[in-house]
Amino acid sequence: MKTNKFLLSLFAATALFVGCADDDTADVTINNGGGEIVNPTSNVIGGTLTEDLELVTGVEYSLESALIVPEGFTLTINPGVVVRASTGSDVYVAVLQGGTINAEGTSSNPIVFTSNSSTPNPGDWGGLIVLGRAPINSVVNGGSSTSEIGQLPYGGSDAADDSGIIRYVRIEYSGGAADAASENNGFSFYGVGNGTTIEFIQAFEGADDGVEFFGGTVNASNISVVGSQDDSIDWTEGFTGTLTDVYVEHRQSHDKGIEGDGFNTDIGNNSNPVFWSAPTINNLTIVGLGSSNETEAIRLRAGTRAVFTNVLIDGFEEAYDLDDDETGVGVLNGDTSVTDVTFTDVILNLKNDTNATFTDADFFTGIGNGTGTDYPSWSSGWTRN
Amino acid sequence: MKHFFFLTIVLFSLASFAQENGTISGTLTDKESADGQPLPFASVIIKGSTQGSTSDFDGNYIINNVVPGTYTLVISFVGYETKEVANVVVVSGQTTTVNEIIGASAAQLEEVIVQGTSSKRESVQALLVEQQNAVVQKQSIGAVDLSNKGVSNAAVAVTKISGISKQEGGGNVYVRGLGDRYQNTTYNGLPLPSNNIDKKNLDLGLFSSDVIQNIGVSKTYAANFYGDFAAGNVDIKSKEHSGDAFIDVDLGTTINTGSVGENFVKSEGTGFFGFYNRYQNNPFAVILSHGVDPIASDGTTGLSGSISGGKSWDIGEESKLSLFATTSFGSNYEYRRGQAANYTLLANTIYPDSEEFEYSRTTTALANIVYRINGDHKIKFNSLFINDATDEIGFFGIGGNGQNRNAILNTDRGFFTQNNQFEQDMIYVNQITGTSRLNEKIKIDYGVGYNKVLARQPDRKRVTLERYDLALDNDPSTNPTLFSNVVFDNQRYFQNIDDDEINGRVNVNYKSSENLSFNFGYNGRSKKRSFDNQRFGYDIIEPNTEVTDVNNFDAIFNADNLGTVFNTSVFRPLEGLGTENLPGQLENTYEGELNIHAVYADAVYKYGEKWTFSPGLRIEQFNQEISYDVINLAFNNPGSNEASETFFLPSLNIKYALKDDQNLRLSVSRTVSNPEFKEVAPFVYENVVDRIGGNPDLLNDPAFSSIINVDLKYEWFFERGQIFSLAAFAKQINDPVNLVSANDATGTQRFFRTGDKAEVFGLELEARKALLLDTEEESLLSAGMNITYTHTNQDLKDVTGTFNTNFDRDSDELQGASPFLINADVSYTPTFGNYKPKANLVFSYFSDRIDALGSGQLSNIVEKGVPTLDFVWKNNIGENIELNLSTKNLLNPTIERIRENTVDGDVALSSYKRGVNIGLQFKYKF
Repeated sequence: MKTNKFLLSLFAATALFVGCADDDTADVTINNGGGEIVNPTSNVIGGTLTEDLELVTGVEYSLESALIVPEGFTLTINPGVVVRASTGSDVYVAVLQGGTINAEGTSSNPIVFTSNSSTPNPGDWGGLIVLGRAPINSVVNGGSSTSEIGQLPYGGSDAADDSGIIRYVRIEYSGGAADAASENNGFSFYGVGNGTTIEFIQAFEGADDGVEFFGGTVNASNISVVGSQDDSIDWTEGFTGTLTDVYVEHRQSHDKGIEGDGFNTDIGNNSNPVFWSAPTINNLTIVGLGSSNETEAIRLRAGTRAVFTNVLIDGFEEAYDLDDDETGVGVLNGDTSVTDVTFTDVILNLKNDTNATFTDADFFTGIGNGTGTDYPSWSSGWTRN
Repeated sequence: MKHFFFLTIVLFSLASFAQENGTISGTLTDKESADGQPLPFASVIIKGSTQGSTSDFDGNYIINNVVPGTYTLVISFVGYETKEVANVVVVSGQTTTVNEIIGASAAQLEEVIVQGTSSKRESVQALLVEQQNAVVQKQSIGAVDLSNKGVSNAAVAVTKISGISKQEGGGNVYVRGLGDRYQNTTYNGLPLPSNNIDKKNLDLGLFSSDVIQNIGVSKTYAANFYGDFAAGNVDIKSKEHSGDAFIDVDLGTTINTGSVGENFVKSEGTGFFGFYNRYQNNPFAVILSHGVDPIASDGTTGLSGSISGGKSWDIGEESKLSLFATTSFGSNYEYRRGQAANYTLLANTIYPDSEEFEYSRTTTALANIVYRINGDHKIKFNSLFINDATDEIGFFGIGGNGQNRNAILNTDRGFFTQNNQFEQDMIYVNQITGTSRLNEKIKIDYGVGYNKVLARQPDRKRVTLERYDLALDNDPSTNPTLFSNVVFDNQRYFQNIDDDEINGRVNVNYKSSENLSFNFGYNGRSKKRSFDNQRFGYDIIEPNTEVTDVNNFDAIFNADNLGTVFNTSVFRPLEGLGTENLPGQLENTYEGELNIHAVYADAVYKYGEKWTFSPGLRIEQFNQEISYDVINLAFNNPGSNEASETFFLPSLNIKYALKDDQNLRLSVSRTVSNPEFKEVAPFVYENVVDRIGGNPDLLNDPAFSSIINVDLKYEWFFERGQIFSLAAFAKQINDPVNLVSANDATGTQRFFRTGDKAEVFGLELEARKALLLDTEEESLLSAGMNITYTHTNQDLKDVTGTFNTNFDRDSDELQGASPFLINADVSYTPTFGNYKPKANLVFSYFSDRIDALGSGQLSNIVEKGVPTLDFVWKNNIGENIELNLSTKNLLNPTIERIRENTVDGDVALSSYKRGVNIGLQFKYKF
């Protein structure tokens, strides 16, 4: 045999190798019927502010890219303003450390952020992100971290940090995935300080958490989360604020009513002296889909402390699920407790996976005395159902 | 050999005072070596006298003290033509030069092959001679040794060299226990691309022994190497043809003990030879047309086969054209079972019982044409193609015991992921290299190369379930459900990497005198990478959608269910369109560019009989750029970074011949370490249980690690083919790069410059000894061993920037460094008449090393040490037939990566056994 035949057979072989793999893939034709997108007929907003911005009543705004409020600038939103966001998880409003948001709606004229789609879905856009300089426990005291979404800095040593006012604001259809492992929330509060005012806010039909606190000291009241597909209220990284009058209502797709972590378990509790998330929650109502649905209302993990007063839990298989040893330590030394609680259609009041030994009676005081928040008294006029 | 050197040195000494007579000297060149290699060990005799000499390793010979007159020289070498050169005139006090090209004698060539005394740089002793003579510390392994040791590929080959370890389950090697980042791989002296986005160096396992002439590892720096050098440079010389025309055919089968009896599965749509035919389709069309389930593979027996041939043509008196071509195919099955986990400070996801089916195929084709114009000029064209394809089907959480901290229905059991992926890497390397000897003093080496890599991961399919335990309980009324926390919990993924590189080198060697020579040279490379990926999430419309048959996910994820059971979702919609149920734009892209141009000069100066000095200086211009458009970065991220530097890299290599057969060597150099594209591109790759991404801040100032290297080595070549050596080395690496678990909410691993400096100290011991000799003084039983101990320590600091990290400790070991490496082998080569079997037992071990540094309170991820024991038995039956048996991984150790010192103790992030591979090969030489 002649050697130079090898080259020929070599090339022939290569063709043969390739030919052995299948391809019977059909073509795809995009038949876009049109009318899907609401065309922006009004002011377009987005980008990084280089001067203060005021969104005025009567104008419908179109948010087409991330709107960033940097340090030293103020975003003012007047009552009744509607912001329609384009589709995409990188479409969000972020108030950076030192930036200010003054979003003051009224009960009859709330501020609404929603999707610009005519058939809106949870996860259409990114939501509202506020980043402050209050303490977080994922870094050494006074240090800052960067957010899960958008890699923005947050955290510091100013417990009284003031990011502005958020009042009568509703966020709809937010929570788009930022990457394959993390999603935006409705309201994301990163290291927000208690100089900030947060009251009368609603997250409606979001794809991830409704309201999430990453550390910080901010107090918030009159919080409504309806139809959140993940946890309705979530805290981690050493959140220590007070939440008053909280209403959570699950829809068909959901995860926990509350998921509280003492620290970020991917990073660790780096605070010194050490502190954990330890919020106070007064007047809480969580409405689930019934005890037959294998669901949990509240999960406390990773060493979080929490003091609950006046709680109503309706329609869950488990009401409280406590995980991790450090979480049990919080119960034993009295940092975590529940006073005045009522369980309706709940199979198991307490699931203790913490290795600490305590009884239902050690954890709950005044079972049957809880009435929850008086939602109708503060929800009318500005919330959606 | 010892005698030979002694003789040579004596003759050189005589030369200095034998002036009354004349001298004959010259260089002998091997006509059979395609690149004009010198012919060592040839005898040069003055006809009719006993006066003569033997050529040294460089083919040089000298006959001193010759009475003036006219002579005929007789040049001979076993297996080669005996050549007579008449009319050699010797004048008093002068040197007569006679250079000759010696070709093989056709009649005797077979004898040469059979006896294995080919002059090519393949045999153990020839390479040891090279090692002894080289000024730079270099160790090589040649084709003969590869064949004797039953080495199947280059990755295994280099582990036979001291201070090298191979990463278990991959072809990546670590020189002196330092990681991938600190070494380079070249092919015929030109840069080789990597086939893997996660690696700098190519998987050496892709180079089968059939295409290797020899592999050299240089552990000390010389000016002709690229400045990006710390641990070493691995150079693969491609096989060239010499001697008679030949054709070899071999066929073989491999069985993996772990795979036998398993119902092996593979991806749908991938071909027998590891090709895939849907790249030209839009990924959205692919996911609508094709399902997610794996299909059965054809058995579990790996096949291998190759054809090689070579032929040479003499053209005129002096010229010769040689052609060598080979094509080979091999497939392999591996089954792994054990734990897989994502564990940071706590268990996030643990799959206590997981199984993976890996079905790999490698196709290699190589052709080279060597045109030797005459003894002085040679040019070579070399072309290499490798297709490396792997199907990997993973079932994580079989048995229903999977746990996920963020599960919705049950966090304690039943979490399950099916991951079904295929990777195809196609590598094309084309080179033109050449050598020209312009005159007695000047020799030029040059080469240009073009490399292209197409690395593809088409259509990775991932399906995630909760309550998988309900699929196992024999109760048809209870079923697992699709987990859908994020829409991408169930997804299809497509990734493409294209690399293009042009490189070149030229070296001018100027021999000023016998004792002094200079090299002046240039090398440069220009490399571009283009990366993109697309991903489609399955957004499950009904919460907790049940799965009635976990072996038939196609029943759910098919085009008929689009919009009713699920919607597809992309990150980036097409312009003006939505994210749902439509194709999308590319999700992440990046472009990288690397340009390096360098000039260098070095000298080799022999002082007296004992000293050799080689000072060198390299001036290297370095430029690297990265631009990227990736999801989830800060709004103000510039989307690019760039660094330009000029490096001045001095080096000094000193050899001191203690005795004829003993050397002391000292090497001091400054080098650098530059980041790789994958280290600077902030794209995050998501495996089932971990996420790894790059960091563009690595190109901020300082954009490189500056490294000081010091090596001291004693070596004793105490008998032919036997060596004892002891080396000490120290390095200081400034601003080292480590893989770290980043301080963000997702625990992603990223690359950081984590400290100001790392210090490395080590000792290296190598011994090779013939334990038994046969009646002809040939080695019957021999053993070799090398042990490397490396101590590393680096300081750690907090890092802020695009990404942040901090540490709860001030110092730690260098990531990727193993304190202990051991390689050992025993060879038994008896002769029973015509039956000459070769049996080899080869052992290697590396100790625990840090796979990723833990930041904050996270502890380190550690790759546990692995021992490997292989037994290879080669049998030549007659002249034409070889029957070979190999059993690899006889100890079958547990391969483990752990997160150490957690609240739950050491937790296995991955843990499995690879099984023993038993291979049988039949080879026929025509």
